[in-house]
Amino acid sequence: MDTIISPIALYLICVLGAVGIAAALPRRNNAASIAGGLVLASAIGLAVLILGLGATKSGQPLPNYFFYPFAILALGASARMITHPRPVYSALYFILTIIASCGMYLLLSAEFMAFALVIIYAGAILITYLFVIMLATQAPSSAAEAFIDETDAVAREPVLASIIGFVLLAILTTAMFRGVSTLPAPTNQELAQDSVLLNLPTKVDRILDRAGILTESERVVRNADGTAALDIAARTITIENTDLNTIRVLGPDQWPDTLNAGNLDRLGYNLMHDHPMTIEIAGIILLMAMLGATVLARKHIELEDDLKAAQARKLGESMDQSMEAGNA
Amino acid sequence: MDTTSSLHLAQMAFPDAVPAITLAHYLFVSAAMFTMGLVGFLTRRNMIIMFLCTELMFQGAGLALIAFGRHHLGADGQTFVIFVLCVAAAEAAMALALVVLLFRHKETLSAQAWKELNG
Repeated sequence: MDTIISPIALYLICVLGAVGIAAALPRRNNAASIAGGLVLASAIGLAVLILGLGATKSGQPLPNYFFYPFAILALGASARMITHPRPVYSALYFILTIIASCGMYLLLSAEFMAFALVIIYAGAILITYLFVIMLATQAPSSAAEAFIDETDAVAREPVLASIIGFVLLAILTTAMFRGVSTLPAPTNQELAQDSVLLNLPTKVDRILDRAGILTESERVVRNADGTAALDIAARTITIENTDLNTIRVLGPDQWPDTLNAGNLDRLGYNLMHDHPMTIEIAGIILLMAMLGATVLARKHIELEDDLKAAQARKLGESMDQSMEAGNA
Repeated sequence: MDTTSSLHLAQMAFPDAVPAITLAHYLFVSAAMFTMGLVGFLTRRNMIIMFLCTELMFQGAGLALIAFGRHHLGADGQTFVIFVLCVAAAEAAMALALVVLLFRHKETLSAQAWKELNG
């Protein structure tokens, strides 16, 4: 199989990206930042152009022009995120990166994850980040409106870090682009998606019932292993009447439009059926993180000895009172 | 079928240049996002931005997982991203608590202020 990008073009993109990032990273009196941004933009543009040209060669009919704007948006926003000297703007650019990658998730037909990412990442995690940034940053005095903290204004070893990063990118992409293949067509994907219906006979019953196909005592035949008797490829459904013990087969023309498995059905089935233990572990991780964050961020209040004694006396009195009230 | 007719329409409008998106496209974007996160983590000195850059690396990994999931027509990739999201949330909570704690000690967000920790 052909490589999508010739190695020379790939290395050129990596070098351009490294030069651009190294020049655009914040430092004092940085005259090169705009030029660095332009070089970086040209690197991203070149990468997208070459990816687009490489795609036309493979010749599979799966038009997905939307990939390119989302890719440009994601890469441009993440570049701006690591080069912007102000932390709040960095966080906002990261939200833009997330929204752009959500667009790519949609193109990859992972609808649930796309919206979950907007809600959880952009809505919750990033807002927490913004909150802490604002909490932990000293407000600049009005005299120095344009004042940026030394920590944010000067990057540490920009040239070396860019070289390391983009050498890594070059190695990663060279290794990945050997023998790539196009993504399967959407029709294949629908078939693969619908096969989850085999494992959900009750859901099939419900859909058929809503579509007005089943009568009172009818249901889909269950195979010996508990799967529904559907033929996904041939679009036939086998239905049994539990009272009369008769069986009828619905042909492809009677397959209701609503009988299909969406992204959410598939994801939910995969999560609950194939990874039940992982959910428990994730719950424990989240619980530990919550406890750890509470313990780490609590404030130690130092009290004088006489204050401590007064506090203890007060506590003791209130306990005595409550005990008396309980006895009464 | 509806989808095929729209495909034909698209091909008529763009006769010979119908770009098919390959797995490699998504992998390239994800690798580039990961790299930028790495460079940002190495160069920035603000602790909050450093943790934000690790989130960018998580994003790159998540995109690769979803693209591989789509390539194999399975839901495992998406399930993995749920757990990546979960770990990212846990990491954000811990990291921000740590940042607040460190900020209280030295009144600065600079990672350089904690130089003595490098042993």
